[in-house]
Amino acid sequence: MPLKEQLPDSNLKENLVTFTNLLRREGLPVSTTETMDALRALERVDLSSRVDFKSALQATLVKNRRDQDYFERLFEYFFAPPEVRQRGEEKAAAYKEQAKEQMAQATRELQFKGESLQLSPAELAQYSTMTSEQRGRLQDFMQKTESGVNVEESFRPILETLVKSHLRYFRTGSSRERGAQPSGGSPEGAGSGSGQKAALSEIDIQAISASELPQAEQLLQKLSRKLAVQILRRRRSGPRSGPLDLRRSLRDNMRYGGIIFKLKHRPKRRSREQILLLCDVSASMKQYSTFVIHFMHGLREAVRDLSCFSFSDGLENMTPELKKKGNLQHLLDRVIRRSEIWGGGTNLGRSLQVLLNKYPDLLNFRTTVIVVSDTKTIAIDQAAGELNKLKDRVRRIVWLNPLPPEQWSDFRSVEALGALTEMWPCSTISQLEAVLIGRLGNLPGGRNVSGGRGC
Amino acid sequence: MNISLPDLKKGFTEAGYICNESTALTVFLTLELNKPLLIEGAPGVGKTEMGKVLAEIMAADLIRLQCYEGLDETKALYEWNYQRQLLRIQMNRNLEEGQVREEDLFSEQYLLERPLLKAIQAQKRPVLLIDEVDKCDPEFEAFLFEVLSDFQVSIPELGTIKARQIPVVVLTSNNERELSDGLKRRCLYLYLDFPSVEDEVRIIKAKVPEAADRLAWEVARVVARLRQEGDLRKKPSIAETLDWVRALVALNRSRLDGKLVGETLNLVLKTRADQEYFRQEIGAPEIDSVLKQSKDGGETSQCR
Repeated sequence: MPLKEQLPDSNLKENLVTFTNLLRREGLPVSTTETMDALRALERVDLSSRVDFKSALQATLVKNRRDQDYFERLFEYFFAPPEVRQRGEEKAAAYKEQAKEQMAQATRELQFKGESLQLSPAELAQYSTMTSEQRGRLQDFMQKTESGVNVEESFRPILETLVKSHLRYFRTGSSRERGAQPSGGSPEGAGSGSGQKAALSEIDIQAISASELPQAEQLLQKLSRKLAVQILRRRRSGPRSGPLDLRRSLRDNMRYGGIIFKLKHRPKRRSREQILLLCDVSASMKQYSTFVIHFMHGLREAVRDLSCFSFSDGLENMTPELKKKGNLQHLLDRVIRRSEIWGGGTNLGRSLQVLLNKYPDLLNFRTTVIVVSDTKTIAIDQAAGELNKLKDRVRRIVWLNPLPPEQWSDFRSVEALGALTEMWPCSTISQLEAVLIGRLGNLPGGRNVSGGRGC
Repeated sequence: MNISLPDLKKGFTEAGYICNESTALTVFLTLELNKPLLIEGAPGVGKTEMGKVLAEIMAADLIRLQCYEGLDETKALYEWNYQRQLLRIQMNRNLEEGQVREEDLFSEQYLLERPLLKAIQAQKRPVLLIDEVDKCDPEFEAFLFEVLSDFQVSIPELGTIKARQIPVVVLTSNNERELSDGLKRRCLYLYLDFPSVEDEVRIIKAKVPEAADRLAWEVARVVARLRQEGDLRKKPSIAETLDWVRALVALNRSRLDGKLVGETLNLVLKTRADQEYFRQEIGAPEIDSVLKQSKDGGETSQCR
């Protein structure tokens, strides 16, 4: 069947514009020039051939390997044959109906003294996506609260706040997981969360399952190797690496009677950068920190002066153990078995104090400190004081924070510690890649909590 | 020269460049829309070869600009022949003739054409291959996309030079650095992946016709198996496959087995770590099992 007949209407231009808008919504940088190119390309291909039509759009609209998956998904949805399209619409309608019922059930279940709690639709939707066990725990908590002694109507706002914070806690772990819901019936609804599993690099690190870990580790290895190549290449000097060396140019050209035929340049100055990785290994941060260690370990060829420390309520030096030969996961397992701090609470102030007193040799103007932590620590003021001392001793402090940026304003610790460092959101592998390539690869970009450019 | 899609496909086949429908169509659109083509992909999948083959098909000159860190306009666009200008001044002084005029020194006679200017000034539409563009500095990349959008350059002493023919531009990148959106926006995009086993067999047959059919299948199957290993530092490229087949032909081998793979491993895996990984994690028995599967899968019968 000719493709034009398969389109919702026969207006190719309109469909193309809608399609490019969908791609933009998915984050693909499709400009007007590219839309025009696509249109010109379509004039030159056989529109009755689906392969040609798709290839023409792909060549003109997609400029990145990563974006090709998004394009494929949207193309298959938007330019689907009518019967497939109808099936999708039916499925989406059924999903909408199911979601409506779930919301009604959530409103019934989250009640205090016979009246529903004041929760937003997003919070009710979050409740619906929780497992029955998680929902049961929350209901138990509410029942116990309701049946307590002297619990009056005035207790309602406190309960609402507690329920909201419970829901927020669950959302942190699951919100940026794979987009699980089918999309809406219209093509415009095929944007984010359109029923396909999100790429591994876009999933919250904490939500990566044990079965996906080997795949994620491979991805990290690949990324760190790419960055290592980039750093090593920058170290090799080019033919005109540094500024003009007038003295050498004059001396070398004496043989030509002082006429400067050949210019001589100074070699580029290379500073020997040291990196000190400080990983929060408290219970909530273990998986994030493990991923960053994996990434940084892949860089050991390029970054020779790399020290790794773990901290929770104390500080431990992992460097000697991780420098040993062998599989990184085995080395890490050994570190965790021997450690007394993995999975503990967090006292950043005390940990920094130990770092400053016990390892002064590692802290100098060439050192970049990378902290991996959600900033949740006891004694925030002490932590800020010690961090300030550290800041004076090193070149810069880069903070990788797995908390979603929209929650940063809820935590005083983010404000206090973020003001002293370059703090970046970092909860997915792609964010980790963007931050570390930006910071270590000396590429432009940077964001500070006190207001700067985004990651 | 306008070329139709069937002619282009025929040209690729005649040049021994095996590619799928989508790749041929993208190249066709590049020629039709007069846009540069940016090709990304792992090393050794045929990105540079695409530029060369395209020049061959179009019977055009191939002008190549190899990018590297530190590459600047003087190496890519033009440079004044400084030494020659100085000599001219010196000679003029020694001969005690009239003053040399500035215009004489900054004429085309003293201009050293570099690849970009050469491509712009070419009489016949050339193929300009800008190789490994990800290795140049971001500043040069910014300069490059200015040239690629207007196909004209300004030389202060001579004025603006416009392209006589818009060249066919092919940019290649190993994707080691993210290229700027500005450059990408000006190009059509093509990602070349490693070929399927069937396509690789066709490539082997096209490039090494003396190789036995069965050997071609077995080599392609083993190479595809090696590429599945995510832990390899350098996956074998098409060039390595072809070198391997040529070596096996030189050794008068028409079949492959695990032991032979082990003996000739240094032709396919080019780092010590990868070779050790092969011996520890894959090994000859695994290769024998892959080859047995391919035999059971009926591919042997296909190639007879």
